[in-house]
Amino acid sequence: MSGLGGGGMAVSDRADLVEGTVRVVALEGGMAMLEPEQTTSCGGCGSAAVCGEKGGNSAQWLQARRFAIANDHDLVVGDRIVVGIAEGSLLRGAVAAYGLPLLTMLAGGITAQQMGGGDGASAAAAIAGLVTGLVIARFWSRRLLAQGDLSPRFLRRAFGPGPGGECHS
Amino acid sequence: MQEMILLIVSAALVNNVILARFLGLCSFMGVTTRVDTAVGMGLATTFCITVSAMGDWGLERYLLEPYDLGYLRTVTFILIVAASVQFTEMVVRKVSPPLFKLLGIYLPLITTNCAVLGVSLLLVEGKMGFISSVVFAFASSLGYSLVMILFAGLRERVALAEVPRLFAGPPIGFITASLLALAFMGFSGMSTN
Repeated sequence: MSGLGGGGMAVSDRADLVEGTVRVVALEGGMAMLEPEQTTSCGGCGSAAVCGEKGGNSAQWLQARRFAIANDHDLVVGDRIVVGIAEGSLLRGAVAAYGLPLLTMLAGGITAQQMGGGDGASAAAAIAGLVTGLVIARFWSRRLLAQGDLSPRFLRRAFGPGPGGECHS
Repeated sequence: MQEMILLIVSAALVNNVILARFLGLCSFMGVTTRVDTAVGMGLATTFCITVSAMGDWGLERYLLEPYDLGYLRTVTFILIVAASVQFTEMVVRKVSPPLFKLLGIYLPLITTNCAVLGVSLLLVEGKMGFISSVVFAFASSLGYSLVMILFAGLRERVALAEVPRLFAGPPIGFITASLLALAFMGFSGMSTN
């Protein structure tokens, strides 16, 4: 789903949706396995060729980000489609994954310090708070997943050859 | 607590990482074309900066300073930053695979973000206690996220405006960033920290 977080993102005409272009890489039962399209570096400097934005080994990196949706639109391997996710879902997911553990970590550390603890006690309390926040984040993300908040949905087919392809073959 | 609040205001607004210290400009210009990407990048960077600040503080306090190994500071801090990014990636993937697929794209970008190393070096220079260091790192990264989101909103507006062809893209982006930096100079009288 990180295809929606990369250079291929676009704000939909339906303003509450964030779109991304993905490619069908496999069909399993009634599900289509999708992989985000490889995006390029921003190209804003002379180091574009070695830019870390490509995420290292591209093939493995893209494979780690595969996800599945129901194949209700007769998709075949190689099809390019546009999927979307609600903007609020992205924000809720980011808060669940990063914001909540940070807040619990700070709360634990500051509480320990206010109670007269030294640096060691504060560090231990901060780490305990971080672990607690991660556990809560796990349950919260499961709830979001059950509600369908983190699941992208099919919007339309994409046209054109995609990155690296040629218009006339 | 008042000291903590002043520290937060100073780190986030007065001495903003991007607009006052000019760190992290690469991701600032590259990931702020849309507000949602700026939010994801900002929160991920906030998490990594805060976690790596904890490790850097411990390394400085218990290894580099007692044994007079300051010349290894930059190298070891970079290792801590890379390790914290990998840790974040592993943890997010374990805690929630769907969230990892959704948000994990930003993590490789953070490893090469000079703002992460810059904040760690700044907190060492300040010689603060553990919680003060962590709060400083958290507030600095909050300021970083705030500026990213503000700038993304401005760029979305500018993208819809009639910009002369020669100024379209990065040139108008840099002009906008400089005006934003001027606006943030208004905070300079709030805190002397």
